Amino acid sequence: MLGKLDWSAIPFDQPIPLIAGAIVLVAILGVLSWVVVKGHLPYLWREWITSVDHKRIGVMYILLASVMLLRGGSDAIMMRIQQAVAYQSQGYLPPEHYNQIFSAHGTIMIFFVAMPFVIGLMNLIVPLQLGVRDVAFPTLNSVGFWLTATGALLVNLSLVVGEFARTGWLAFPPLSELSYSPGVGVDYYAWSLQISGVGTLVAGINLVTTVLKLRTKGMNYLRMPMFCWTTLASNLLIVAAFPILTATLAMLLLDRYLGFHFFTNEAGGNVMMFMNLIWAWGHPEVYILVLPAFGIFSEVVSTFSGKALFGYRSMVLATMAICVISFMVWLHHFFTMGAGPDVNAIFGIASMIIAVPTGVKIYNWLFTMYGGRIRFATPMLWSVGFMITFIVGGLTGVLLAVPPADFMLHNSMFLVAHFHNVIIGGVLFGAFAGFEYWFPKAFGFRLDERWGKLAFWFTFLGFFITFVPLYIAGMLGMTRRMQHYDVAAWRPWMIVAAIGMAVLTIGVICQIVQIVVSIRNREALRDRTGDPWDGRSLEWATSSPPPVFNFAFNPDVRGEDAYWDMKARAQQQSLERDRPEYQDIEMPRNSPTGFVCAFFATIMGFALIWHIWWMVILGGLGAWATFVVFAWRDHDEYVIPAEEVAAIDRVNLEERGNLVSMAGTV
Amino acid sequence: MSDQSHARTDHDLAPGEEEQHSVGTRILGYVVGLALALLLTATSFFIAGTDLVWQPSIPVALIVLAIAQMGVHLVFFLHITTGPDNTNNVLALAFGLLVVFLVVGGTVWIMAHLNANMPPMDHIIRMQ
Repeated sequence: MLGKLDWSAIPFDQPIPLIAGAIVLVAILGVLSWVVVKGHLPYLWREWITSVDHKRIGVMYILLASVMLLRGGSDAIMMRIQQAVAYQSQGYLPPEHYNQIFSAHGTIMIFFVAMPFVIGLMNLIVPLQLGVRDVAFPTLNSVGFWLTATGALLVNLSLVVGEFARTGWLAFPPLSELSYSPGVGVDYYAWSLQISGVGTLVAGINLVTTVLKLRTKGMNYLRMPMFCWTTLASNLLIVAAFPILTATLAMLLLDRYLGFHFFTNEAGGNVMMFMNLIWAWGHPEVYILVLPAFGIFSEVVSTFSGKALFGYRSMVLATMAICVISFMVWLHHFFTMGAGPDVNAIFGIASMIIAVPTGVKIYNWLFTMYGGRIRFATPMLWSVGFMITFIVGGLTGVLLAVPPADFMLHNSMFLVAHFHNVIIGGVLFGAFAGFEYWFPKAFGFRLDERWGKLAFWFTFLGFFITFVPLYIAGMLGMTRRMQHYDVAAWRPWMIVAAIGMAVLTIGVICQIVQIVVSIRNREALRDRTGDPWDGRSLEWATSSPPPVFNFAFNPDVRGEDAYWDMKARAQQQSLERDRPEYQDIEMPRNSPTGFVCAFFATIMGFALIWHIWWMVILGGLGAWATFVVFAWRDHDEYVIPAEEVAAIDRVNLEERGNLVSMAGTV
Repeated sequence: MSDQSHARTDHDLAPGEEEQHSVGTRILGYVVGLALALLLTATSFFIAGTDLVWQPSIPVALIVLAIAQMGVHLVFFLHITTGPDNTNNVLALAFGLLVVFLVVGGTVWIMAHLNANMPPMDHIIRMQ
């Protein structure tokens, strides 16, 4: 009846996950009951859960990523403490638990923090920058978000029901095959990635279509803001690479569920094929994450230097070059697997070549800053911090791209330090820069600068205190994923790294305090102009937060840096006088399709993990029926009458007009 | 340049958004496509079993016929043209082909070289 599921699935003998799970459960129940008691549930359902507004979906993506960042961060803290104390002892985490923690840390940080964070920012900002009213497929957008949330839910469920994979974040066979991992851990891993992978793929298709098909009048490709270009490149990579992940995990699941032999040791399976395929997805994935971050830095650096981006066209070229070359380097993740010197040399050289367009970007940012009036607001601090950190990470990457050096450093703590250096220093700093930069656009008030700067400095210093010791430990021969060790020389570095982790944690706490303080002072921090940073692209041309239809009139773009151009020509005032007639605006209706579909997908995923076959059929039928119902809908749009558009737009223009005239008198 | 490219993006068609032809012309297009596809399929089956041509050329002929088959599908069923309204579709096709070529070709190449650092099998057998 319930497949493999029984009471033994709940780890009553392990206090840590049980207590953590209980605290989370109490928190969730607390929030839920507060929502219900206060009567916010209908509002949440109408305005957020069923919303197909790209801005709301973007905010929900970022919220998911932030919550998961805390979960992944707790795993990181536990690992650093374990390695600090586990010198010639077992530490406080038993091996099977420690293995689950590092696997969950990697899986969560990549799939449920970095991915939703960048997809959320792209969702929130790209339609605004393109001057359009929504993404190409609004309901599909909601489906994509909720399927990602399903994946996150399943991963976190494994904390208290069953176990998570003990195989590392990519579940290499033969360890992840049934013979070595008979439990449900790998199944939790694979099914949550399969479901959230569908979500990511539809988000990718959606954003590619949006950039290619929906641009406002006059917005040609070479007038698009840099963030739109990197979004295009990153989502092209999603569309091209994620099917590889899906296919690879599907083969692993066939091995585990139906006795196939794709990656087994016996019966003609080939373990190496899994490494090859998973990294053919895995390397483009790195660029899927970091390209949008590059776009964010381009926007931030240009805005806070008060200059147009230096070398815009070379930046476009570099972005698209990375997009293509990222498919030519995947073997550098397994130089040691045994391919001959020819193969290793070619992939080593390709890996070094991909550093060239990245270097072009760094120089472009530096030259954008050169001669500019730089304002060191929090987003700019994150960007400059990124440049320093990312150059270090990039250089250690080029070092690892030399096959003979890689044979020494493969799977060492040096590698761990390298990829944290590029992913924290690149993706996470980029996500934070974008968060600080676009927060006023999303919510209508700025974030507190003092706490933001504190958060930056603690995170920046904490990062180096944590990861420089890991580089050194790697040089001293320490391998990754060690539950305990007996080498005295590593011990001091592990203790320093744990101290660094504490500093990083203070940075995260500062960020939380920043949000709380800013919400309390929101009236003082209110952004009435819609353009708090003296911005250059179209998202600043509308109010903060933007109305549901984004723009009352489709903006007319006449050059790069569209909004800067408008301000320079002082079109703001002239537009007020000769605005054309307001027109009715058609917007997509909200739809529960995404939420209902993800609800059934969650049931199906859970049932597949525990082999509860009747429930699998139930969930599958439910998800399918949701789509049928959606496909047979009668009307999917509603009309905002012209008078309402005019009223909303007039309020916005009045506030702006007041500020402009006030500035004039001073 | 700017005005032209803008005009083009306005008229760029997604797959399925056909240009305005009468039903008759469109049906004719599909019929021609079907006939060509069937012809190419029949030829492939014929070539595979025949002894009328030089035997080693058969795999090459099959590959050529398969590529022609893909071309027929793209032109008659997916309506890829070289017109300016089709730039996005052609570029997407080119990008897709490039990625497939890189991943499949790269995989074959890598997997064929995996034993480079191993002693030859017969050598191992002789040692035993």
